[in-house]
Amino acid sequence: MDPFDSCDSRDGASKTAATNSQTPEPWSRFSAWLECVCVVTFDLELGQAIEKTNICYLSFPDSYSGCLGDTQFSFRLRHSVGRRGSWFGQEDAYNRAAPVTLQKEHAHFHGYVYFRQVKDASVKRGYFQKSLVVVSRLPFVELFHSLLQVIAPEYFEKLEPCLETVCNEIDQWPAPVPGETLNLPVMGVVMQVKIPSNVETPAGSPFKQTQQENLLPAPMILPSVHELDLFKCFQSVLIHVQMLWELMLLGEPVVVMAPSPTGSSETVLALVSSIAPLRYCGDYRPYFTIHDSEFKEYTTRTQAPPNVTLGVTNPFFIKTFQSWPHIIRLGDLKISGDLPKQVKIKKLAKLKTLDTKPGIYTAYKTFLQKDKALIKRILKGIQKKRPSEVQSSILRRHLLDQTQSFIFPLEQYLSSLMPPQRTVSPWKTPPQIRPFSQEDFIKILDQGGPQLTSVLKGDWIGLYRRFFRSPNFDGWYRLRYREMTQKVECLHLEAICSTDLLAWTRDKSEVEIVDLILKLREKLAKARRHQLPVKEKHLERLEQSIQTIISSLPEDLQTVLHKQSQSEPHEH
Amino acid sequence: MSLRELKVCLLGDTGVGKSSIVWRFVEDNFDPNINPTIGASFMSKTVQYQNELHKFLIWDTAGQERFRALAPMYYRGSAAAIIVYDITKEDSFQTLKNWVKELRQHGPPNIVVAIAGNKCDLSDAREVLEKDAKDYADSIHAIFVETSAKNAININEVFIQISQRIPVLDAEGSSVRGFKLRRQPAESTRERSCC
Repeated sequence: MDPFDSCDSRDGASKTAATNSQTPEPWSRFSAWLECVCVVTFDLELGQAIEKTNICYLSFPDSYSGCLGDTQFSFRLRHSVGRRGSWFGQEDAYNRAAPVTLQKEHAHFHGYVYFRQVKDASVKRGYFQKSLVVVSRLPFVELFHSLLQVIAPEYFEKLEPCLETVCNEIDQWPAPVPGETLNLPVMGVVMQVKIPSNVETPAGSPFKQTQQENLLPAPMILPSVHELDLFKCFQSVLIHVQMLWELMLLGEPVVVMAPSPTGSSETVLALVSSIAPLRYCGDYRPYFTIHDSEFKEYTTRTQAPPNVTLGVTNPFFIKTFQSWPHIIRLGDLKISGDLPKQVKIKKLAKLKTLDTKPGIYTAYKTFLQKDKALIKRILKGIQKKRPSEVQSSILRRHLLDQTQSFIFPLEQYLSSLMPPQRTVSPWKTPPQIRPFSQEDFIKILDQGGPQLTSVLKGDWIGLYRRFFRSPNFDGWYRLRYREMTQKVECLHLEAICSTDLLAWTRDKSEVEIVDLILKLREKLAKARRHQLPVKEKHLERLEQSIQTIISSLPEDLQTVLHKQSQSEPHEH
Repeated sequence: MSLRELKVCLLGDTGVGKSSIVWRFVEDNFDPNINPTIGASFMSKTVQYQNELHKFLIWDTAGQERFRALAPMYYRGSAAAIIVYDITKEDSFQTLKNWVKELRQHGPPNIVVAIAGNKCDLSDAREVLEKDAKDYADSIHAIFVETSAKNAININEVFIQISQRIPVLDAEGSSVRGFKLRRQPAESTRERSCC
């Protein structure tokens, strides 16, 4: 299939899609980065009426007022299952080495939008309105918005050949390998990015941007593929950062109402990233519209609001979300004195009319007290005109420390549930991991609680108890549990490998030996299938000893066993 | 030793051998059945020149007409442009002259221009005289060589000559990123450049 097959439809928004083709060969490198590139144009008579996907609706600002010129924002989209579904969990090479917060997801796409609205007398409506959208599984908001800044303005002028060129250039990009610094050439510019990996701590910006004067067009060094300017995103809610962090940590239902899609999407992404290195496990939508297929599901009044964070711009939503517990209503940024005006906490009951004032509408009381020193430092920074990047990294550092103080006792406790190494025996099934007991955990908080690393006072125990009920705890626990199970499996395998199996077989019956061989083979296949972090030489040695044991058996049995191994699908 | 990144773009008619020149230079390889370039492709190669390392960031543009409008993205900020024609096709030499004009009007002010008359292994079918091309190149102060990507003739030569014409770093060696050279005072490089 030609990826430039355009499928212009007559119903309103016409969509030219460059989807990756079925055969992996020609577009395999492209699809390591992108799912597709879409162009969405607005049609006066029919609006954005396209049936296939939500992309068209999500690619246009909901309310047009302030969007003259170029606007960038992003959305997240549920992937309708049933399409060519290649599962990539731990099996995916990128995901194995990427931080959990940056893994590709099976069920969601990210869309990055560059929308242009300019006066154009030649169009009936009087405006040129078009969006260039890149859709990817990678949550690299900074990278893709930088990419769009390079390609979209060119595209709007030069159209099709430009898109074709860009897709071809992306098809030459090296794959996103965590830990590597990559050069990504596009349209005469080389973007340099570092792909984060799970072995480094996500502290601040990894490499400094050396700004040199007038070096246009200097190589574009992106300080980060994903980190937004947190300070900018939180400008009007700085004094509430503690509350926002708790809401995210607990996976509370949160709606962000912003004046623009840029505002809503940046705020939602900033919120979700504020609990890194913990992964936010609820659904989040940087830009959510009434046309979303999940709209009904999320706004039904018959159930409690779901554990999601939604970013919206349409004032209509005030009514829809009246029963939600936390609504962050942002306005256009106002400066009072020399500080950005901070929104206030307001009672939910006040949330009624369409012209509801900015504020955080909630009855939530934080478990921990605010870090006044941090707020003071940030506000002082504004007065001292400290650069936004520096303010951001102070904020990020603070949030990171706080999240780590919070998880550390959990990690400590969890590692105490591992079976002792001496209980791993080659002759027994792998030992069990002890179950997680919330009460036991609370008991250890006295000596090993977050007070060791955090100065924040408050009801930490209450926060943990609430956290246990959140999807974020569930997600964290499942992940860690799987890692621990794999670790035990590895230890068990290694124990088997360092045992003289042949010696053991000497006084055993044939049945016992055959049983052993089958079990070992199964173990080996499982290790390969799950790509357990065992050294290849261990696996090879095990394979060798299986062969040796087989050759010690009578010939007819040997043939049977060889046959059996050939009929098994080999997984490498 | 200092490292300088030099953006270089290749321009010229379709089928004159731009991609083959880049392939020969970067991979020392030749494929007679190479596909036409879509848009542009990017390759890089670092070579030593005196006490500097020159990293050529090579943008090999498509010769096909429909991509023509995209060319400014690639010559924008280039330290050098290699304009290629096919010595067996008079037309491709005319196209080259148009590229020179466009660069003069819209290109970076101090861009080093190199003219490569490719496919010199096919001199039996020659349509463009070497002397004519050389005279033209001299008149615009451009580097001139006849090349054969197929037989590996003069390919490295083009890049060596480009290195020679790149203005030297100032004492502090501040222009680590090569693109600074277009900001150098025009006088110092005028006699070397085409415009």
